[in-house]
Amino acid sequence: MTKLLVLLLTLLGSPVVAGGAAAQEAPLVADLSDREIEVSTGFTGADLLVFGATEAAIGPGGDEILVVVRGPTRPVVVRRKVRVLGVLWVNGPSARFSGVPGFYAIAGTRPAWQILPEQERQNNGLGLDALPLSSTGARSPNFRAALLALEKESGLWLEDAATVEIGANRLFHVRVPLPATVPTGDYKVEVLLVRSRRIHARQELEFRVDRVGVADRIATVAQAQPLVYGVVCVLLAAFAGWFGSVLFRRG
Amino acid sequence: MQVYLPIAEMSADAFLLVGIGFGVGWLSGLFGVGGGFLLTPLLILIGIPSAVAVASGANQTLGASVSGLIAQWRRGNVDAKMGGVLLAGGLLGSFAGVQLFALLRRIGQVDTAVSLFYVVVLGTVGVLMVMESARAIMRRRRAVRRRLHAHYWMHGLPLKARFRKSRLYISVIPPALVGFGIGVLSAVMGVGGGFMLVPAMIYLIGMPTAVVIGTSLFQVVFVAANVTLLQALQVGSVDLLLTMLLLGGGVAGAQFGAAMGTRLRGEETRALLGLMVLGVAASLLWGLVRPPGNLFSLGPAL
Repeated sequence: MTKLLVLLLTLLGSPVVAGGAAAQEAPLVADLSDREIEVSTGFTGADLLVFGATEAAIGPGGDEILVVVRGPTRPVVVRRKVRVLGVLWVNGPSARFSGVPGFYAIAGTRPAWQILPEQERQNNGLGLDALPLSSTGARSPNFRAALLALEKESGLWLEDAATVEIGANRLFHVRVPLPATVPTGDYKVEVLLVRSRRIHARQELEFRVDRVGVADRIATVAQAQPLVYGVVCVLLAAFAGWFGSVLFRRG
Repeated sequence: MQVYLPIAEMSADAFLLVGIGFGVGWLSGLFGVGGGFLLTPLLILIGIPSAVAVASGANQTLGASVSGLIAQWRRGNVDAKMGGVLLAGGLLGSFAGVQLFALLRRIGQVDTAVSLFYVVVLGTVGVLMVMESARAIMRRRRAVRRRLHAHYWMHGLPLKARFRKSRLYISVIPPALVGFGIGVLSAVMGVGGGFMLVPAMIYLIGMPTAVVIGTSLFQVVFVAANVTLLQALQVGSVDLLLTMLLLGGGVAGAQFGAAMGTRLRGEETRALLGLMVLGVAASLLWGLVRPPGNLFSLGPAL
């Protein structure tokens, strides 16, 4: 926390030290608490703090801040269960969505739809209903709605789950919760400064979610050398079984 | 204590997993089966993706069966020749089963298929076991001796071989077919197949009970090893950490179960096991026929 405080103070102080010119060139400065989220075997989720300062006052009547976090994209399939033979529920029609972010969070001093015109919001993909998702397969809009609902339920898609807090008129920060199921990869954070219903300034930041330690080694070997991994699994399980029987026979 | 499972890509309670391992290990020690048929549904129930549950279940079964096999081998209760024939079928079967599993996963029917397989197989086996043990309990009261095994069409098949430990002179086709079937189910259901193999060996092949457990463990160990390897290669869904946590509880539980099992009579044990198998089948069937809470589900595109 002290590290954060120092960072905040430095951010706030730097334009002053650098002189008036720098302050005019940067209406917005922002940073992240972590550039690397480490997923170890003890990982139960993490909080990412996005914070920064603006040149002009933010808050009611002034500028507004929007923070968007986007995770790596992957294709997903949404399936709908149907009843067959009058009794069984099995997966029926499906829709395949490409480019679905594995994590998406948007937060603002106020919800995006309140501070930006609809067209602007859609163009920039600000909000769950503005995500550019293209699908193949089943046509029904229910599939898109279901995707949104399921991702929200899993805690991987967040819309205005937290608000961007304002401190001392020019400081802002927001805590973005990353659940334990957060996918690994490169993440992009976009901080937007909205002035009179237009995006006035933006800053892009990046961070990575990486597996580390045992979890990383297991996943890497399993992916890169599945044969070695399979043999190791077989041998370790056999050894554990044998060792257990020896241990408990003595005891 | 939460622990992150690297292949399942989720975190789960380590104590819960060790506890499940212990409970299943206890029952498997008690009944002399691997316990995979309980483990895989339990894992799916606590939210482990079914592909991971099936693959890791097979891996766990391997570990759990090794200690049993060592003990049985020492007592000379393993018919290695019969085990070899069963195994030859089993390896082919598990290869076919993993292909089937990968196909089901591609078309998005893996959850339904795994549940359906469980309902049909466990339902059948459970009913047969309960009926048989009920009859055995009755027979014990009436004290009628039965023949070693009946002779029927199966004994007319070619490729006969002598199985000395089993005191049988029969064709290798039935055991190889039994092995193949168990191999397929083992790959799709993540079980070792002991609960199906044991009755099949007694009633279909006609082996004496003394060598049945040891020989089935022999087959289960190698088929489970093959399934683990193939699943790791083709589907990439074996979670080593999950397996180790389950085994940690499992090997301890199995020892307690085995100690208790010696105090129970064979027929009663079989009846209990049969009822348990039926219970699992019924709960999975309910999962298939109950109107789902959410019609939609999300999965990775393959």
